[in-house]
Amino acid sequence: MSGATNISPSRFLAQDNVYLPHIAVIERIIEETPGIRTFHFNFKDKKLGEEFTFKSGQFGEYSVFGIGEAPFCISSSPTRRDHLEFTAQRVGRVTNALHRLGVGAKIGFRGPYGNSFPLGYLQGKNLVFVGGGIGLAPLRSLIWNVIDNRDKYKNIALVYGARSPADLCFKYDLDAWGKNKTIKSVTTVDRGDASWTGKVGVVPKILEEVAPSAKNAVAIVCGPPIMIRFTFPVLTKLEFTPEQMLTTLEKRMKCGIGKCGRCNIGNIYVCRDGPVFTYAQIKSFVSSEY
Amino acid sequence: MEQKLRSEVKALLEQGKVDWIIGFEPGSLKFTTTPLITKDKNDAERLVINPFIVNNLANFLTEIMGRVGIVAKGCDSRSIVSLIQDNKVAREDVVILGVPCTGVIDLSKVEKLVGKDRDELNDIAREGDKVTIKVEGKKKGFPSTQVLFNHCLACELPTPKEYDILLGEPSPPIANLAAQERIEKLRQVAPGQRWAFWEKELSRCIRCYACRNVCPACFCQRCFVEETEPQWVLPAPRWQDNLIFQIVRNIHVAGRCTDCGECERACPVNIPLRSLTREMYDIVGELFQFKAGMDKDALPLMTHYEEKEAEDFFR
Amino acid sequence: MTNSKKVNKKDVGKLLSQWSQEFAIFVPSIGSGVATMARWEGKDTSFLDWYRNTVIPPKANFLPPMEEMFSFRKDREGYNIELPPNGGKQLIFGIRPCDARALTTIDANFKDLYQDPYYLPKRSRAVLVGVGCTNPYDSCFCTSLGISPADSNDVDLMLTDIGDEFLVEEVTDKGKKLTAKTSGLKEATKDDETRAKEIKEISYNKVTRKINAEGIVDKLLAGFDDQDYWEKVAAKCISCGICTLLCPTCYCFDINDELVRQQGTRFRSLDSCAFPVYTKMPMENPRASKWKRVRQKVCHKFGFFPMNFNVIACTGCGRCIRLCPVNWDITQILNSLPVRV
Repeated sequence: MSGATNISPSRFLAQDNVYLPHIAVIERIIEETPGIRTFHFNFKDKKLGEEFTFKSGQFGEYSVFGIGEAPFCISSSPTRRDHLEFTAQRVGRVTNALHRLGVGAKIGFRGPYGNSFPLGYLQGKNLVFVGGGIGLAPLRSLIWNVIDNRDKYKNIALVYGARSPADLCFKYDLDAWGKNKTIKSVTTVDRGDASWTGKVGVVPKILEEVAPSAKNAVAIVCGPPIMIRFTFPVLTKLEFTPEQMLTTLEKRMKCGIGKCGRCNIGNIYVCRDGPVFTYAQIKSFVSSEY
Repeated sequence: MEQKLRSEVKALLEQGKVDWIIGFEPGSLKFTTTPLITKDKNDAERLVINPFIVNNLANFLTEIMGRVGIVAKGCDSRSIVSLIQDNKVAREDVVILGVPCTGVIDLSKVEKLVGKDRDELNDIAREGDKVTIKVEGKKKGFPSTQVLFNHCLACELPTPKEYDILLGEPSPPIANLAAQERIEKLRQVAPGQRWAFWEKELSRCIRCYACRNVCPACFCQRCFVEETEPQWVLPAPRWQDNLIFQIVRNIHVAGRCTDCGECERACPVNIPLRSLTREMYDIVGELFQFKAGMDKDALPLMTHYEEKEAEDFFR
Repeated sequence: MTNSKKVNKKDVGKLLSQWSQEFAIFVPSIGSGVATMARWEGKDTSFLDWYRNTVIPPKANFLPPMEEMFSFRKDREGYNIELPPNGGKQLIFGIRPCDARALTTIDANFKDLYQDPYYLPKRSRAVLVGVGCTNPYDSCFCTSLGISPADSNDVDLMLTDIGDEFLVEEVTDKGKKLTAKTSGLKEATKDDETRAKEIKEISYNKVTRKINAEGIVDKLLAGFDDQDYWEKVAAKCISCGICTLLCPTCYCFDINDELVRQQGTRFRSLDSCAFPVYTKMPMENPRASKWKRVRQKVCHKFGFFPMNFNVIACTGCGRCIRLCPVNWDITQILNSLPVRV
């Protein structure tokens, strides 16, 4: 269903039960913005930690025991495995509980679920990453993955923006990428503040200014739905075909494994057949409810 | 009454006095009707008035935009007035087509009386205080009071007081005390046993929320059961949480519930919900001498305070 | 000699008693206040007289309204997670062909990609003893979906009412194993089998409600974006959960946690796409509008599910029609789909 990647189930089942989470320990918490935190964690079972693999774009179901479970992408790169990461915005019951946790707290993890960014398809191409707000989380897994295998890819460009300088996530990554001469990184905000000296403008508009070439290129877009809806037309104008545009879709999820029915768009399940889709696939969905 | 209804509805739509019509049309099963919500004046011919017009159509007023012509029995008209009191509906946006009601037939009572299911009956005919049921070719007569809904037998306003067009001659309340027998019996039961009674009844609740969704008084955009911060009740049908749902819902609709009986009628697992709602209705009547939906100019009970109110609950 | 057995209706209690040594027996019952499959208390078989079908479908025996997935207790190391004990073996007596087919239908969802560790073991441990309908409701439309009131495809033993007796067909090996150790069954004669065949045909013809299921997937999805049409279809729906929670082929569930001091459980419970919060996300709700939810229900059952699993997620049991508070009728919708070019 998703181009070059296959849907294969996670091998890492606890007690042979697909709903049972593994215990994980939070090792570090980074406050990206007042409402967004990144959690660094490792499995309590060291052996599992060594065996565990995942691909960029996949997600996990994270439990705060007694409060609930919620899906977040794995925002660290598979090439940097001393720990795992996920990023969550405080919006509801589970995320509020997550944000009350401290270092050393135990959470649950199930996964990895979903498909992944099609690395085979991306190799040898120019990559244009377009991110907004917390949407940088799934992208950064892929960006570090690509940087760590730099010679397999051609040009790398990133256009990232947030509502205001305080809402920029992963500022440490933006710093590092800004200093990396092998990638071109542009950061923008919808509106600046007194000390902001960078670009001002919504991401789709800045993307149009940067005007990356569509030749041998793939665009990977992650952000709030409204940003995505305005970015696709810009890419089309820049002559990217729908097959050259990738994105991750988001829906309310519970089981994460295609059983509870909730995250469906027509006959596909975002948790099972996604979350990575090309725009061409999205346009071919029987349902327009994306 | 049907002919008058159809011609009035046609006129209302033709003259552009309303945008929508809500009424009843024959249902897809024997002895049922179903709501008809339409803008098309040709649909006027589909409207019916018969002993099976069970729904409280006021329920749809909070979701339909524009001016509505609505068929209303006495109980329904009280719900409309209650919504007007709550400022959910403007009086000038509704044209109330009042139906003087002589009671709606409760098919589950018929089924119990005759020992056959609804689809096995040949005919049900009502004539005044007699009802004739034809089953397997044979006719059986019963007094109407044995087949009407309990809330119809206990109804205090069968003919709408507030209306724009009255479709027939006013009909008096049936005022049959048999209706309240079940609730009276429950009042005599000791609290401990009453708790066990409700544990048994609410254990079969499946949390379909039909009781809430048929109720015109339940119009909250986000119901308290849907809150997660904090989570007031478990989303799952554990009987204790089902009980809390009912208790809190009753408190939330107190002073606006008109005892239309729809909650109990809609419940797919036969929970005697009117034993709770009517109880609350009677408590409200006793404490505040207030009955919902009787006076469109009255202020809603729970949202205003009068100095002369009793203060004996302050300690 | 035939391959079938038979049992006198008066002796059904004796069968159940024998089977209760090995299985938890479930029979149609109204003791709880609503017709459902309940534990047989050991004597009463009067359900054979009144039973047409239950209100609560037998899916509740495999996908319960509320089911513990695991419990956890906080300890110094983290959390100690424990699975609930393995359930016993169920024998569902009196399951109707529509409900049995429904279980086979939703098996596909619970087997897909991952094996569901709660539903599937219950299914494989259970024995289904079907009893054919002789008195379908006017809301039944199983015959339009490739099932008949006497269909034996999805049960282990199939009983057909031939008067004072039931013809007993052994459908699966599980069924044969059961009858091999059951006493009280007689050999059926050719006449019995002929009588059963007649009864089955009579029952088939008693189903009067029909839909045309041919090409329904394409017919439906052609009009997916027709908002005016779906708004009309959805107008009288009140967005309760009756049709979905009581539907034998609906399986959507919710997962929640509960914590009391240091101990808690994660449980799943039946959920419904008819509820507005079903798809609610913090920033948007793709199905906040009622017409989109009604469209989802119809299109999922008769469009998306068949696209994925080659079978319509409906077996014509008619519960949704019988129990809907506003008499919203899916057969009316399906029989009046606009013809789209």
